[in-house]
Amino acid sequence: MQETVIDAHNLSKIYDEQTIPVYALNGVHLHITRGEFTAIKGPSGSGKTTLLNMIGGLDTPSDGYVEINGTKITALKGNDLIDFRLNNIGFVFQSYNLIPVLTAKENIEFILLLQKRPRKEREQRVLELLREIGLEDKINKRPRELSGGQQQRVAVARALAPKPQFILADEPTANLGSVSADNLLDMMAKLNKEENMTFVFSTHDQRVIDRARRVITLEDGKIVADTSPTKIEHDQTE
Amino acid sequence: MMAFYNGMIEQRINTAISTELSHIQLHHPEFRKEYEVKYRLPNGRKMLESISKDSTVKATAGRIVLKGMVASASGSSGITINGVMPTEEQLLTNLKKKIIKGNYFNSEKTNEIIISEKIRKKLKLDLKKKTILTFQDKEGNLASSAFRIISIYKTINGPYDEANVFVNIKDIDSLSGIENEFNEIAVLIKSSKLLEQSQNNLKKRFPTTEIKNWKEIAPELGLTVSVGDQMVYIFMGIILLALAFGIVNTMMMAILERTRELGMLLALGMNKLKIFLMILFETFFLILAGCPMGILLALATIAITQKTGIDFGRFSEAYSSFGYDSIIYPSLTLKQFGIMILLVVITALFSALFPARRALKLNPAESLKK
Repeated sequence: MQETVIDAHNLSKIYDEQTIPVYALNGVHLHITRGEFTAIKGPSGSGKTTLLNMIGGLDTPSDGYVEINGTKITALKGNDLIDFRLNNIGFVFQSYNLIPVLTAKENIEFILLLQKRPRKEREQRVLELLREIGLEDKINKRPRELSGGQQQRVAVARALAPKPQFILADEPTANLGSVSADNLLDMMAKLNKEENMTFVFSTHDQRVIDRARRVITLEDGKIVADTSPTKIEHDQTE
Repeated sequence: MMAFYNGMIEQRINTAISTELSHIQLHHPEFRKEYEVKYRLPNGRKMLESISKDSTVKATAGRIVLKGMVASASGSSGITINGVMPTEEQLLTNLKKKIIKGNYFNSEKTNEIIISEKIRKKLKLDLKKKTILTFQDKEGNLASSAFRIISIYKTINGPYDEANVFVNIKDIDSLSGIENEFNEIAVLIKSSKLLEQSQNNLKKRFPTTEIKNWKEIAPELGLTVSVGDQMVYIFMGIILLALAFGIVNTMMMAILERTRELGMLLALGMNKLKIFLMILFETFFLILAGCPMGILLALATIAITQKTGIDFGRFSEAYSSFGYDSIIYPSLTLKQFGIMILLVVITALFSALFPARRALKLNPAESLKK
């Protein structure tokens, strides 16, 4: 039996609950198992980013809960939640969000510093990751000296550095050209295959959708389609 | 600002000690109530001799101080007649240095008087002219005598100038009926730090004599010091408040500009304590960058103005009416400087608490959208 990494149960996010309620998410159920390469697609405002934020513990649901490896993260608060994110979830953002004053090496190392890993281990892990993403020659380059694709690779390496349970990538190819996007997706697919790393993307990009092994379609805060090869839990109840 | 006020107050005190009061004065216990001549120090000469041998004493002199009138053909004015010992007085006060016209007392001549520029103008007097001094003698009888003006003095203290004339003690002691006696002994000590010790020494030696230091003789001066201190603290408070607003503004801007970055840090797993400390450290480094520049500028300004002074000549009349010099020489002790720096650092760090709190309240999901 496949190990469940993410279990979202009846997730809802309602804005302006007191006046005119707007459902960003409406009763979403979702299971993601280890090693999945999942894309969440849908039109703008369908709730892709909101769902990713809920799974990543960046936002709190109005209803429902999220369990990561059996830990109900929606019940965690403050530093407990932050520490959980640090040790279990990797984030890749649309606009890379690297720290501009740090080099590629330092950007990756930063997250290991937060984990208080020893220096030797940090350096070993950073070199290993830079090699993996093919940027060992850019080790001392700052973000502005790297191309968009290279910056996003560093962002992926940063997300991978603490050896998380899974990586959430919010529109990771949105700012990339086709060659860079393909390279990035190749790299992610390789990591997924070789290291069994779980990836969850929110995307509009057909290239990402084409490479995903599972595609979840969101519309108006609800899952309307799920092409999961494994378990599909799909709630469209009104 | 602090150095400016310090300089102003220090100058006022130094002037009061060197021109008007000296550090310590000895009187008959009743003398200062009515300034009556009969309340004198009968063993003044012996006391003076004994005081001058004290190791803490720099200079001392006896005086006869009389309340009286100075008159000219144009009018008269109520004044304090200071009968001074010319040689000893030179060591005690800077009267001689304050003479702007004429010469100091000549030991061979009698009935010489030094008047102030203010009195000269008021009574339309001038050098070599005669003026009449009238006062009560020991028995309460009116005594008067003519004195020739040998010099005009001018201090920075207008009210003092309006109320004081100086004559040789020899010319007035017999007239006042206390020949070879004093009703005031003034003492200048070697250092202000020795004031208490010196005053206690004198009190032990002359238990029946009233012995007061300059703060007790002129409590308004002590008040000036404390009011000046309060003013400094008020100004400091205003400046520190402005600094606090500046820091809050700068750090708030830094947080607003970097909302996305802070959201990213929170998302990646930087805990709230670290975010909080990061904001405080940023503020500290901001001060570290600004403080040395400020310190250097302040030190340079004080060093230069300590030599050149800051000239408020246009307001000299106003300053003079309060006993202040119109040229201010700022001064600041190392201790005060250290306190200032410490206060700046504390205020800045304290001011950073509000922006830091704002940073902690950021929602990572919302911040990442910015």
